[in-house]
Parts: sequence; C-alpha cells; structure tokens
Amino acid sequence: MSFQEKNITVSLVNFTLILGFYLIRVFQMIQGGSFNSTNIFRLWGIIIALAIVVTILATILTHIVSAIIHVIKTREEPNIEDIQDERDDLIDSKGTKITYAASSIGVALSMLTFVLGQPPLVMFTLLIFFGVLAQIIGDASRLYLYRRGF
Amino acid sequence: MGKNRVKNNIRKLRFFRDEMTQQQLAEKVGVTRQTIIAMEQEKYSPSLELAFRIALVFEVPLIEVFFYDAEAEPK
Repeated sequence: MSFQEKNITVSLVNFTLILGFYLIRVFQMIQGGSFNSTNIFRLWGIIIALAIVVTILATILTHIVSAIIHVIKTREEPNIEDIQDERDDLIDSKGTKITYAASSIGVALSMLTFVLGQPPLVMFTLLIFFGVLAQIIGDASRLYLYRRGF
Repeated sequence: MGKNRVKNNIRKLRFFRDEMTQQQLAEKVGVTRQTIIAMEQEKYSPSLELAFRIALVFEVPLIEVFFYDAEAEPK
C-alpha cells in the first residue's frame, strides 16, 4: 500500500468513526429530549475539532507504526515513498470533485427540509452529517481509483 | 470512462535494459512505482512530459515506447 493510500485509508476510517459518533450523539439527544440548538452547535464544534486533530494524529501514528513494523520485518531502513506524482494529483482532483458533488447534493437535501416545514435545527443537523458523509464518499472514491490503477 | 487506447512497450523495454525494475524506472522518471504499474497495465496514460522522460531513460524515440491503438477506435 502506497503512502497516499495509507493516508486515505486513515482518513476514511477516521471520518467513518466520527460520523458514527455524531449519529449516536444526535440519537441520544433526540431520545433524551435535549435536541436543541445549544447542544447541536456544541456537537458541531466537537466534530470539527475531532476531524482536524484525530486525522493529523492518526496519520502520524500510522506512519510511525508502519515504519516500526517494516524495520522489525525486514531489518532495513523504512523506505517512505512520499512523492506525489501526476497520477496522485489526478486521483486527488477526481476525489475532490466527487466530494464537492456529494456535498452539494447534501446541502440541497438539507435545504429541502425547510420546504417540508422542518425547523432550522434539522437543517443544521443534516448539514454536518452530509459534510462528513461527502468526505467519506470522496475518500472511498480516491481509494477505489488507487486500487483500480486509475 | 472510455477504454484506454494508448498502449506501451514499457515492460519489454525494461526487460531489454537488464531487467530494470519498476522501482528503478520510477526513481529515474520521478514518479511512484504504482504509477509505473498502472502504465504497464495500460490503466493510466501519462502526460506528454512523463512520456518523454520515459523515452529518454530508454534512449529510444517516443513512438517506440507509446503508441495509439487506432483499430480500437469506435466506428
């Protein structure tokens, strides 16, 4: 697995866990009767902070652990292939395009809740859900392109 | 996505260069080994610049490395 593939896999796992955490917290709020704007915006803050901090830490840890495993297995210095070539750029660009498309559909669907007469809180809850989901779809598409070759 | 009609002789040229490894070729042209694999499997068509760099490594004209399969063109 290449350097880029490892990074994407780590990001994919992180965002899936973050989405799971977000959904659990939202359902807990709905069941506990604490589904209000203060709690939702606090959850927004937690999700954004988690997305940044956990992704950075997990990426660093993954590379340290994989380098240690490589040294133990082969008794050679780890060869970190961290160059980004034209194929990586193209895959990244395609993934970003897919992320934006998914995100746009998500924003449109969130806005649609207004038409259905739902309060703004529902729209804000769905906005971050679709934001994280779009990131997962983008990462999954990047990983698929790497696995396929292009 | 359409079928890739840009074919290449990279595998053959590597063989005639004392079995040059994919890693060695990747390092010479400044790409990852995965990109060389994708090109050999004809899943990825390189940019013109990268194509020229590969031809320079093998010291052959570009047409001997890459060619267009016109017969696969849809009628």
